[in-house]
Amino acid sequence: MTHPFQCIATVQLPGRDEYLAAACGPKVFLVNAGKGEIASEWSASSLTTATSNGNDDAAGTSERPAKKQKTSNAASHAPNIIKLTVSLSQQYIVAVTDDKVIHVFEITGHGELKALSQRCMPKRPCAIQVLPDNATIICADKFGDVYSLPLLPSDAALTQNASPGAEHVDVMKTDEATFKPSATNLTVHTERNRKALEAQMQQKNFSAKKEPLKFEHKLLLGHVSMLTDVVFATRQVDGKQRSHIITADRDEHIRISRAPPQSHVIEGYCLGHSEFVSKLCLIPGTDILVSGGGDSWLGVWDWPSFKLRRKFDIRAAVLDTIRQDAEVSGADKTDTIKKADKDVVVSGLWTAPFANAKGKQETALLVACERRPSLLIIPISRLMLKKDESMTQTRVGHSVLDVTCIGDSVVLSLDTRSAGPGRLQPMKLFQSSGNDKGAVDYERDEEMDAKLKCLTKSSTDAHADDKALDELLYGVANLRKRRGWGDDAGGTQVDPSDTKRDDNGTEAMDVEDDLTVHKP
Amino acid sequence: MAGPPNKRQKREEKHEGQMPQKKFYRQRAHANPFSDHDLTYPEHPSAMRWSEHYPHFVATIPAAVPKDDPIATRDYNEYYVARMEKRVEVADIGCGFGGLLFALAPRMPATLILGLEIRTSVAEFVQDKAKALRLQQQQQPPASAGAETPPVPGGYENVSCIRANTMKFLPNFFAKAQLTKIFLCFPDPHFKARKHKARIVSATLNSEYAFVLAPGGMVYTITDVEDLHVWMVEHLAAHPSFARVAEGEAEGDECVAVMRRETEEGKKVERNGGRKFVAVFRRLEDPAWP
Repeated sequence: MTHPFQCIATVQLPGRDEYLAAACGPKVFLVNAGKGEIASEWSASSLTTATSNGNDDAAGTSERPAKKQKTSNAASHAPNIIKLTVSLSQQYIVAVTDDKVIHVFEITGHGELKALSQRCMPKRPCAIQVLPDNATIICADKFGDVYSLPLLPSDAALTQNASPGAEHVDVMKTDEATFKPSATNLTVHTERNRKALEAQMQQKNFSAKKEPLKFEHKLLLGHVSMLTDVVFATRQVDGKQRSHIITADRDEHIRISRAPPQSHVIEGYCLGHSEFVSKLCLIPGTDILVSGGGDSWLGVWDWPSFKLRRKFDIRAAVLDTIRQDAEVSGADKTDTIKKADKDVVVSGLWTAPFANAKGKQETALLVACERRPSLLIIPISRLMLKKDESMTQTRVGHSVLDVTCIGDSVVLSLDTRSAGPGRLQPMKLFQSSGNDKGAVDYERDEEMDAKLKCLTKSSTDAHADDKALDELLYGVANLRKRRGWGDDAGGTQVDPSDTKRDDNGTEAMDVEDDLTVHKP
Repeated sequence: MAGPPNKRQKREEKHEGQMPQKKFYRQRAHANPFSDHDLTYPEHPSAMRWSEHYPHFVATIPAAVPKDDPIATRDYNEYYVARMEKRVEVADIGCGFGGLLFALAPRMPATLILGLEIRTSVAEFVQDKAKALRLQQQQQPPASAGAETPPVPGGYENVSCIRANTMKFLPNFFAKAQLTKIFLCFPDPHFKARKHKARIVSATLNSEYAFVLAPGGMVYTITDVEDLHVWMVEHLAAHPSFARVAEGEAEGDECVAVMRRETEEGKKVERNGGRKFVAVFRRLEDPAWP
């Protein structure tokens, strides 16, 4: 089995060759796309997992062991790369591994990857971006918080206990030598809780709680929900630049906040989704934001006014591919379609330029749905219309994992784990010359294909099994909420003691403190 | 298995207009704000059907609604949403059994007050109580006819309650700068440091309160847990959108007195001889763009 490339990105060093960065399991390959050879490669090692696990263990003695981490495989496996992004200056690559570590690399003159820093975040990063200032990383995590960190950590911050900024003070008391329970006999009333409190009073040697992060970071904003995507948007108002951070979460929200230093100001929300939002995409040169997720439509927003311009239905197109697949495989159509009806899950949104008939450059939106073997191509001009819902479907035969534009070709990363070759498929977009004038057509880019051949041969030691790969590549559908399960556990239970709280370390039912995604 | 008597059934046994009994609505005092529950909430504030909650404040719509009507009467899905004369302006987040709501209602009869409570049964109790109180007021003979107690201003028509997880869905109910007052009374203290993100006041959640509050609006907090009080003051005062109101000024506010005296939890603390810590914060204007 060949491990697919879960993330790809383009590096276009000014005045030099173009590079394609591709993440394959724990490895990053940097390919010189002009010469068609691998310039360098880097692999995340389990060294980093050791340090990150160390953090969790340290906290273990304080109250109760922190939530159990899935560490069973961490020791033996190198951590996989889950995000890959390039700074605007094309100088730095930022990668996130699934052990919550943010890696920063510098790309040197000959396309070598030079690892600069590794920083372990408190929660798993879900989205990451390098701001246009080429000096700041913003990182949105599973716990709903957005942090900013300097792209290049200063040495002083590394050695010192970083003070977490004045804007939002992280009130984490490290000095636990004189531990005093917050509860008193006046605030705790039930017998059991009183006992627990007494026990706490007698207990000595409280170890410090969680260690604060050892590097410079700042909490910018937060949702009480798992974040799924973050984008940085800038627009001109009265001749001045105004920057925003747009965040999307699992609870259907798209929030527009001001960028730092005023990130505490929420400008508004783009509300209208009825299922989770998983991806955001800004259309360059417009005020249009496209959102996708568990709904069977894409939201086309005029984001400065928070208005939903239209819902662009993609259900028909997705069902179409399923129907065709069913015909090929001869499976029972109605059944698969019924099942798939709930299964429209947008896993990727990208934009790609293409030349129209007059040679003018236009933009197309590319949409990938999880586990669907096609890519939808929608010209932006159509997205702006009121009704038109036509689009081009590229039937690529495998599900699309990531897309990047390199030169004038669009490279798709496909999950061809069983088929073998063809993990990267370059294509060229152009305006259709057929009946449908506005549509976008595509053809395979043989030239680029040949250049990328060098990658096809190299691969990671494929020890990944199907299940582990699925977990790595297809997490979006798990964001869907389970509905109609009645109330949450404990919701209908009646507490006869009529106390507003009995939470003193003895609560009968352990509520998970994490934003858990329930897997079906 | 012979379970306890069905409380839900008992709740329904009372006849119309009778006050609901708390003992049939008790529920475990904690709810996990991070879990999904089975919540109902509008996709957008304009889609919220307030008419069910405040039937007396439903606007009469002229036969021909002008096309450029500024108030949305249809939501995204083209459902008709009745227009209201007024918007909710006061929110009691975590209203519990609604002591504060019913004490505030007669004091501001022309203002819509909403309680938000995450526990289903408790929210139901407040809804049932509001209904019963309204009916009592309607059935009471007018004061001129020699009633024993004078009618309550507003007749409790301006108070209601919804089940909601405000930590997640506050912006689904309220538009920007819609509220003038937010009450956070005796919130769950979440003693463990590990659970501090579940507290109702945090650096990041305060931005949401600032969003729904109009500049000049107030946040009122009260608790009997000193640590939590310190936490709330620390976080709200550190937030650039809020400034603490001086204690002298706060004590002069009628709402503070009502909050001390009338909340259900406030009464209980009183009975147990506990202390109450109050803090009031004012929403500041947003800074100019840099």
